[in-house]
Amino acid sequence: MTAPRASGYFRIRYDDDIALVRTRTQRVWLGVLALALAGFPFLANSVLLDLANQVLLVSIGAVALMLLTGFAGQISLGHAGLLAVGAFTTGILFKELAAPFWITLPASAVAGALVGLVFGLPSLRLRGLYLAVSTLALHFMVLHAGQEYETRRGLSSGVVIDPPSLFGFALQDGRAWYVVLLAASTATVLLSLNLLRTKTGRSWRAIHGREAVAEAMGIQVPVAKLSAFIVSCTLTSAAGCLAAYYRGFVSAEAFPLFVTIQYVATVIIGGIGSLLGALLGTLFVVLFPQAIEASMNALGLTDRLSSMIFAINQAAFGVAMILFLVFEPQGLVGIWRRIQAWFLLWPFGQKPLGRP
Amino acid sequence: MNEAVLLRLDNVEVTYHRVATAVQGVSLEVREGTIVALLGTNGAGKTTTLRAISGFIGLDDARVTDGSIAHQGERIDNRPPHEITARGITLVPERSKVFENLTVAENLEAVVPRRGADARRLADAVWQYFPALAKLRSRDAGLLSGGERQMLAIGAALACAPRLLLVDELSQGLAPLIVQELIGLLQVIRRDLGMTVLLVEQNAAVALDIADHAYVLENGRIVLAGTPDELRKHPDIREFYLGFGGERQRSYRDVKQYRRRRRWYG
Amino acid sequence: MQLAVNVAVLAAIYALISCGYVLIYRVSRVLSLAHGELMMLGAYGLAVTASLFVGHPLIAIGSAALLSVLVGVLVYVLLMRRMTGESVLAAVLTTIALGILLRGGMVLAFGTQTQYPLQQLGWINASLPVGPSARISAAGLLLVLATALVYAGLFAFLRMTRWGIRMRAAGQNPLLAAQRGIRLHGVYALAWGLATFSGGIAGMLLACDAGVEATLATIGLKAFPAALVGGLDSLAGALIGSLVIAFVEVALISYVDPLLSDVVPFFVLLAMLVVRPWGLFGTREELDRV
Repeated sequence: MTAPRASGYFRIRYDDDIALVRTRTQRVWLGVLALALAGFPFLANSVLLDLANQVLLVSIGAVALMLLTGFAGQISLGHAGLLAVGAFTTGILFKELAAPFWITLPASAVAGALVGLVFGLPSLRLRGLYLAVSTLALHFMVLHAGQEYETRRGLSSGVVIDPPSLFGFALQDGRAWYVVLLAASTATVLLSLNLLRTKTGRSWRAIHGREAVAEAMGIQVPVAKLSAFIVSCTLTSAAGCLAAYYRGFVSAEAFPLFVTIQYVATVIIGGIGSLLGALLGTLFVVLFPQAIEASMNALGLTDRLSSMIFAINQAAFGVAMILFLVFEPQGLVGIWRRIQAWFLLWPFGQKPLGRP
Repeated sequence: MNEAVLLRLDNVEVTYHRVATAVQGVSLEVREGTIVALLGTNGAGKTTTLRAISGFIGLDDARVTDGSIAHQGERIDNRPPHEITARGITLVPERSKVFENLTVAENLEAVVPRRGADARRLADAVWQYFPALAKLRSRDAGLLSGGERQMLAIGAALACAPRLLLVDELSQGLAPLIVQELIGLLQVIRRDLGMTVLLVEQNAAVALDIADHAYVLENGRIVLAGTPDELRKHPDIREFYLGFGGERQRSYRDVKQYRRRRRWYG
Repeated sequence: MQLAVNVAVLAAIYALISCGYVLIYRVSRVLSLAHGELMMLGAYGLAVTASLFVGHPLIAIGSAALLSVLVGVLVYVLLMRRMTGESVLAAVLTTIALGILLRGGMVLAFGTQTQYPLQQLGWINASLPVGPSARISAAGLLLVLATALVYAGLFAFLRMTRWGIRMRAAGQNPLLAAQRGIRLHGVYALAWGLATFSGGIAGMLLACDAGVEATLATIGLKAFPAALVGGLDSLAGALIGSLVIAFVEVALISYVDPLLSDVVPFFVLLAMLVVRPWGLFGTREELDRV
């Protein structure tokens, strides 16, 4: 029996099969990415560093929303509310009890899980869009509660929080934050990747496809929906905690409904059903306002329209979302995959079987 | 027998999801003013054929991938459904055939008759043909019995002023007496209104009673065609569709043999 | 007594907006979350026509109303129609995106200042007495009247006219409706036009009452629980749901805490979801037992 002439990519152990990084090419590219990420803070100026930190921070929430909406197919309109839950838990614990970082972070996560349970249970018994409705209620109620707290405490400009101290180091520097946020983001992505490979993750994908079919296969649909929602809430709340520390203050005004829509945009524009999509979407959503501002600068319109910046952002966002929904439903990931396919299949233009 | 050909299928092949062929090489003709029966067991491809004709096949991600479907000489395969409905080709579906939360009268009012047809006259005609329905005018359609529902479905289809009526499984789930009533009605409609009907049926006896011409569909292909008299004499039809099984007890093994035999020239 | 008047006016606003939610959901199973912004468009539309037709208030109002219908139909034809084949998730996300686009667009087009079309119409928002101890603004009275007219008209349309029956049929069973010759696109466009018209009237009257400014759209979101509490596929439910929510809101604002106004509808909504998720008059849906 001659040696098989093949790609050199063999899986001979179970470990090989379940590994996240399999081929040599993947390892090389991963190494390049790791080097780039590690070297970035040393090469970038403070503006870029701040942008990068924002991207990393938003990516946590985006991945959480992607799990819920992109993989499990449930619309949630409460993302800003959940961030607020984490932020306010942190703020309140800090203000009232001077709690340190390693207490507020888990507390925020638990608070998020509880909120998810409270708002998820009534709506997830039902088929259809009831979760969207329920999370809308979540948004308004959480923000109201936060506002009440601020008013009662006389904190008109929000709760001010000291920078957290990790292992004795106070996190104030942009670079220090970069390390922490990169670690958090990586942890979230790894957690999600693994979660998606488990029974739970597969049950989410099943209920996205067809709930009736999933039920026929023995998957408990309400349990799957609830688990997706609670996981998403927990991660988002934790992200809210980090956001609170990063900004240094917590205020109900920082979490309008537009924030939820921005996160939904990361899912839509990135591409439903893909973690890479969540990351690409995050890049787009965070850099989009910068791009608009830059183009306005270039066109010399800044002075005249400076008061309208927010409105321009909103309108442009809406247009971008609609364009993606109508013309590119698979999002940026879809575009990326098409580019990949073109290169991989060259010189054949053959599209995969069973697709239009 | 020399009426014009209203509908012609020519070597039609229908494929689902671009990979699964449901129906292949199907050729049949429906002449104006006649009742044509399409027989076959479950899964033979009858509903697929009807859906392909009526244009609603795209909803199941299926297409006519070969051959042609022509109505009065013009091709209608893979055309959008509203074009085909506008031509007067109306389908009485197998399931979900009435609007459950509307009353009987509302069900009949909801249809959009073919352009140029006399809607008033048709509405009155429907009440005349189905006196039982006239008594149930304000009953919600969801509360009707099976036979009444089928009557309403046919009545609503008639109210569309069709030129070609496609009926999917007329007799399914209905008591024999009601089925007799309905096929009698189809004959009356054919006689009074000159209606052309393509009837898809599992119940061969019922279909052969009323049809002017019949085709037998098996595994997606037409295996037999002819007048009802010819088909009633055919041994396979007698044994496997009409149930005149012969002297010995029929077992599943015989059916398997039949299917295997069919595959030779199926 | 004044309380009852306030409840009536607030309920009228919610009812006019939520009938739009119900219409669109009932006919096409899509939750249109852009409805608040569309209502605002109606309000701004009045501001525009009022300044165009100064001195001819009736023409201004008439054209603004017509504009609302047109906008609704256009939204369907240009945007939502492309989403009919896609999943409901995509359609709802599209309405969210549309809402954002409209919000930003309206601020860009009309600025952030409050506008008062009433002045340009040449009318006064008189305060009229109701009974011995209460007063109602003219706009408020018109709101209540408009609600009654719109609902009566819709009931008559849906029950008694052919196209109304066809709309209901298309909502129940779109496939069968198409097979019976009903043009689904036409029905959906009509639903969107009517929904936007109804919301637009609310917007216009609100503009006369309190002026138009960008935050008006949040009322649209508050009307959403009204539609849900009544049952998303029932017009009568929308009316009753609006009354319930308006009543609870006014009562709590007056006796407990005025800042509660934004949250109250959602409290009621959540309670409804726990107790009777399909609303007071909606079609019962299956509950999965957790």
